[in-house]
Amino acid sequence: MKVEPFDTQRHVTFTRRAAFTVGGTFLLFGGVASRLYDLQVRQFEEYQSKADDNRFKQRIVVPLRGEILDRYGELIASNRQNFRVLLVPEQTDDVAASIAKLEAYLPLTDAQRNLLLREVAEKKNQAFVPIEIMDNLEWDTFAAINFHGPSLPGIVSEVGETRYYPDGEVVAPVVGHVGSADASDLRSAGGDRLLYLQPGFKLGKLGLEESFDEKLRGEAGSKTVEINAAGRVIEENDNRGHGAAQGETLALTIDADLQRHAHEVLAADYKEYPEGTEGPGAVAASAVVMDVVTGDVIVMASTPAFDPNVFARRVDRQTLRELKNSPLDPLLCKPLAGAYPPGSTFKLLTAIAAQEAGIDPRTRFTCTGSFRFGSRSHACWKREGHGRVNMAQSIKNSCDVYYYNLAQRVDIDHIADVARRFGLGQTYDLGIGGESEGIVPDRDWKRMYYRTQPENQTWFPGETLSVAIGQGAVTSTPLQLAVMTARLATGLAVEPRLVRSIGADVPSIPAFALATPQPEYLDIVREGMDAVVNQWGTAARSSLMPDYRMAGKTGTSQVRSLVINPETGKPFKNHELPWHKRDHALFVAYAPYENPRYACSVVVEHGGSGSKSAAPRARDIMRAVLEKDPVNPDRHEFWRPGQEPLRTRVAQAGSGRGGSR
Amino acid sequence: MTTILLPEKQLGIRGRLLRINVLLLVLLWAIGGVGVMTLYSVAEGSWTPYASQHLVRFAFATVILLAVAVTPLRFWLEAAYPLYFAGLVLLLLVPVIGDVNNGAKRWISLGGFQLQPSELMKIALVMALARYYHGLEYKKVSTFLGVIPPLVLIAVPVGLVFLQPDLGTAILTGVAGIMVVLLAGISWRWIVMGVVAGFFGIIGAIQTGLLKAYQIERVTAFLDPTYDPLGANFHPNQSKIAIGSGGVDGKGFMEGTQSQLGFLPEKHTDFIFTIFGEEFGLIGTLGLLMLYFTTFFVGTRISLAAKSHFGRLLALGISLTLVMYVLVNTGMVMGLAPVVGVPLPLVSYGGTVMLAMMGGFGLVMSVWIHRHQDTLRTPGWR
Repeated sequence: MKVEPFDTQRHVTFTRRAAFTVGGTFLLFGGVASRLYDLQVRQFEEYQSKADDNRFKQRIVVPLRGEILDRYGELIASNRQNFRVLLVPEQTDDVAASIAKLEAYLPLTDAQRNLLLREVAEKKNQAFVPIEIMDNLEWDTFAAINFHGPSLPGIVSEVGETRYYPDGEVVAPVVGHVGSADASDLRSAGGDRLLYLQPGFKLGKLGLEESFDEKLRGEAGSKTVEINAAGRVIEENDNRGHGAAQGETLALTIDADLQRHAHEVLAADYKEYPEGTEGPGAVAASAVVMDVVTGDVIVMASTPAFDPNVFARRVDRQTLRELKNSPLDPLLCKPLAGAYPPGSTFKLLTAIAAQEAGIDPRTRFTCTGSFRFGSRSHACWKREGHGRVNMAQSIKNSCDVYYYNLAQRVDIDHIADVARRFGLGQTYDLGIGGESEGIVPDRDWKRMYYRTQPENQTWFPGETLSVAIGQGAVTSTPLQLAVMTARLATGLAVEPRLVRSIGADVPSIPAFALATPQPEYLDIVREGMDAVVNQWGTAARSSLMPDYRMAGKTGTSQVRSLVINPETGKPFKNHELPWHKRDHALFVAYAPYENPRYACSVVVEHGGSGSKSAAPRARDIMRAVLEKDPVNPDRHEFWRPGQEPLRTRVAQAGSGRGGSR
Repeated sequence: MTTILLPEKQLGIRGRLLRINVLLLVLLWAIGGVGVMTLYSVAEGSWTPYASQHLVRFAFATVILLAVAVTPLRFWLEAAYPLYFAGLVLLLLVPVIGDVNNGAKRWISLGGFQLQPSELMKIALVMALARYYHGLEYKKVSTFLGVIPPLVLIAVPVGLVFLQPDLGTAILTGVAGIMVVLLAGISWRWIVMGVVAGFFGIIGAIQTGLLKAYQIERVTAFLDPTYDPLGANFHPNQSKIAIGSGGVDGKGFMEGTQSQLGFLPEKHTDFIFTIFGEEFGLIGTLGLLMLYFTTFFVGTRISLAAKSHFGRLLALGISLTLVMYVLVNTGMVMGLAPVVGVPLPLVSYGGTVMLAMMGGFGLVMSVWIHRHQDTLRTPGWR
């Protein structure tokens, strides 16, 4: 049989076109093959890393903050467990639904929910960063949320660490507080930005927490987690990450017990004012106690303070505003930042300057209650006058007129020089910010201060009179007064220190040089201070005899110039004035008199009278200090780096009642 | 070429079975085996729910293939138009009793089986066109009257499928039909006109909104890989990552990380090539491509050996259909083509496509077994 000619032509055409299709198919397959080659060979590494990127994510491990200890190793600032629940928007398709599911176990108020939703909206571009919903959860709530984890997409439950201060507001002036990173922190974060964004991470914001933040913070760790497409963690493997390193331990010279006691004493009511004329209800005062041999600051108390535990969680705006606007300055570390006219405590320095200028301490001047200088009459606090007094008696009785006489014979620059030798007018590197320098006025100072008013630039002799009794332009901080007292007690240029060790680094105490070239001039000053307390001087009621021999000096410094009561013709008494116009009360002291070891200064803002307000408090504080004798190595064991901290006062964890939004 | 005509009544079923093209069968089994293996991995090391089902279907489809193969080619010639119309009926049933799946009505349930008529239609269309050209004088192929019936034959199922909506399958069906028309010898004049008309047709379809937004979006996503990486481009990007990270020798059987961890959706259907590529690397993917190409090549050889025009067009038409599936699917998973939802035949999990392909290759096998028949001289013909 032949093939039909009917078929030949189309067969030929078919064959030809069939060949085309084979060729075309081959080319297309070749194209696919080359694309495969492209993906699987040439771009292999790129895709391999993308595949890994898909499933391996780096998570930052927030480091544990370094602890702050007192001189014996008691915990002043530590970390404790905090049960937290977080929202990771990236891990859920419907944020609102996830929150609703969570509320079955953890109810939220409307305000909390709205705040949360707002935060989610704000952080849209960082949907992978967890947002804290609530912390300090009860264990039961936390366990329930944890158990139901798989049905709560986007909800992560976590055990974190919160900064915890067992002593609360007692230590706040020293340690300050921590807080989350805010906008300005993030701006300066640089490479640490991602760490700052983690909800558990807190920065130091005030006090030692702030100034030692770098050391206390520690080092962030990283861990690699393997996730699936929904973002759920399948496996954590740490071979590619590194652990977080806890921050360094900061050991202070503070004695936490004595600090607490001093805080209580300051805040207590010492009945310095008659009933009904008390001030704003809280005492605004500071106390500093120093070891005069080493310079260790044993107590640095300031009232009123704030509770740093509130800041460690989350402080609401209302509380923060109240703290910032309060006239009592609870956020201020008054021992360092409060600059007050030293009042009569300054007379100790004038006395030294006078001796250096050649005046014999046995020289007597007569006090009649007032002193005429130029066209003005300056009064002594005792209107009747003290009669004839020598230098020691002038200290004992705090006679102003005596010092007016001295002021005429000593130059202001000389007085200023003595003041600086004994610690006024300068800051010390304690490691806390915000220290005030105070003012020690001299001619240069006045020239600078009044540089825009040339007519006031020269120093008027009358001003020396004010300075001589610790008024006028001169101001000092309670810390400076404590240093002054330590230097008067020992004759050495004692320098205060707050930090005994950072991590393993234990700085050594330098040897102190002489504070003044002629230490013999200090004898009469010390005699006078002993008389103030123990021989019926201005602080007679604050004597600790017969148990301890403490020497001191009262001070009452005016805030405003005397206002005469038009009805009586006499100046207003303190309790008749509004609180903020009342005199400050000051008292400095050291003990034991024969072999000085401790110095202290107490300043009560608007306390009215040094002897009624400041001296009794100093007495009570010093009694406790002398009884405990915190510097005695035979009675106490001091903490060394590498030892475990003492944890006798840390409260149990898990007591949060649903947190603090 | 020798013309040995064996009267078919002398060729029993056994005889015909012995004449099957073993190479073709082996190739098809190899591809099916790849499918079973990959589906086992997709189910994370389990025969259920995919691998065992696939194997069973494949066995069943092999039986179908053999049954179709031993059926005389003449039967298929006569059955071409009826089958075509049956396919149309099924397609028309879809909007009536069809099941909605992923927002499209493509399936119908018949007697407990789920069927996708559009896949079967491709085969029926090739058959119908082959039948038409078999009976047409060559010089009439390129006449106006000669062109109308094929156009209608193509247009009707394409339109019905397009309305399901299933853009990908509609296009592929149309292309399969056009391939047969081309092979039948249509003149260049018509080819050019067809291209121009198609071009305007696409523009018109876009303008008049005949093309839905998501369909256009798929093309946009295809043209720009960075567009909408978590939406329209999610599959292609993830797919490229998975394939690319397979490297030259792959991550190993069952070790595909992207697939195991859920980064690749649709991995048992359209994106199965990705899994295979991730696990077996370039070696595996090129190997699989070779299997497909060889199958096509064998189909082409068969078509060239056939004496009947019907046989030629049928065999090459089916083979080209296979090739189209493969090219579009692999192109899609590698970002060379927009995502159009086309499975990889015999490997992707899915009954209808397997049935259609195996049935189609049954026809090819029948062409081979009966290659010496030109089906012109038998009585009753024409």
